[in-house]
Amino acid sequence: MLKKKLCSSSQISAILSRSVTSTNFSSPISISHCCNSSVFNSPSLFSSSSSCFFGRAEGKPFHSGRGLLFPTSISNLTRDNASFLRNENLFCSLSKSAEKYQCWNCGANAENSTLFLFCEACRSVQPVNESTDYFQIFGLGREYKVKVEELEKTYKDWQKKLHPDLVHSKSQREREYAAEQSARVIDAYRTLTDPLSRAIYLVKLEGVLVDEEERITDPELLAEVMELREAVDEAEGTRALNEIQVQLQEKLRYWSNSFEDAYLNKNYEDALASIRRMTYYKRTNEEIVKKL
Amino acid sequence: MLRHLTTTILGQRLRSAVGGDVLRRMYHERVVDHYNNPRNVGSFDKNDPNVGTGLVGAPACGDVMKLQIRVDEESGKIVDACFKTFGCGSAIASSSVATEWVKGKPMEEVLSIKNTEIAKHLSLPPVKLHCSMLAEDAIKAAVKDYEAKRSKSNGSQDAEPLGKAADA
Repeated sequence: MLKKKLCSSSQISAILSRSVTSTNFSSPISISHCCNSSVFNSPSLFSSSSSCFFGRAEGKPFHSGRGLLFPTSISNLTRDNASFLRNENLFCSLSKSAEKYQCWNCGANAENSTLFLFCEACRSVQPVNESTDYFQIFGLGREYKVKVEELEKTYKDWQKKLHPDLVHSKSQREREYAAEQSARVIDAYRTLTDPLSRAIYLVKLEGVLVDEEERITDPELLAEVMELREAVDEAEGTRALNEIQVQLQEKLRYWSNSFEDAYLNKNYEDALASIRRMTYYKRTNEEIVKKL
Repeated sequence: MLRHLTTTILGQRLRSAVGGDVLRRMYHERVVDHYNNPRNVGSFDKNDPNVGTGLVGAPACGDVMKLQIRVDEESGKIVDACFKTFGCGSAIASSSVATEWVKGKPMEEVLSIKNTEIAKHLSLPPVKLHCSMLAEDAIKAAVKDYEAKRSKSNGSQDAEPLGKAADA
């Protein structure tokens, strides 16, 4: 069966190579999308070619494909192109061990398969890879505690390579990549520097989402928040406000630690409770800042 | 003095809120009206047996809303209502509207006030619908609190004569 497929696809391989270059083939996003279509059509072919294209799955084992989720990112490939590429899987030129990305510009292999924002060899910006999470961008594991000064340093280092201002003379394509990558790094930096957004992001990575419209009636918590907000409103003078701020910082520290414990124990209920409290305290702090 | 208090509470929020949103969307004039002419802001004595207090919150936006009703024992009608809300303009306006609507109505009737009515009255955009939900929750919580207080006091009244009978 394989040989038959080989013959039929040799004719279309020429068409294939044309479609490949035009559809930005080396982008890992489009690769996985084409494999997506192939999964549902030919599971047997798929298992033989799995290792060629699965760098994207972040080392997760490739089991009969149907249950796997693919990132739903945009792709230039239409179904027709995808079917050509499906056949290409049979004799893919990438070696089985190379779960790496290649630079679109010079073809060099990425040294690091999980973090490829910039090609050191030709110094060109790479397209955004949605599966790289914010922690990976900063070379960190998924942990709550981070060293904020180091974050800043890494952030600046990245911007020295990715900032759009540095690519004025380069191609339109690379300028677009620079704009997207740079924006993503900024997002990552902002999310990770603030303890609350970091906490929300961490649990989001575990699939736990904070409900934007949740309403609570916990009398103890609400009475406390009410009291705090009233105190801020009635406070006159910087000293009074600063006193309240100190109290708030204390509470934020306590609940930060509580969040970390809950997260480490995978106790997401408690983690969310900590996030709720931190949100309230942070909001109160913002009101103080406005008043100061 | 109350006006000054309310304008300072609300004024700052309005300035920042409207300033931020004016590029994308304006607050409906009714919402702005509730800001500039705040009505029923204040507090009743929580321990007053005729007062029901509803305290609700939306943690995702850091909002907290307190709505209080004063009920006439005999008629079961709400004779007065006040609120205190810390949150966005829509939340403040929603609770303000809620206090206006419950005044003079019997308790059972206010339980049927729906958030959709409040939202429609204020022309709230979809992202702010949960603010009207919060106001609906606050009304219900206030009624529930009043009922709980009443049943507790009734319960102790019943217990007393029994206790006396037992003593005697």
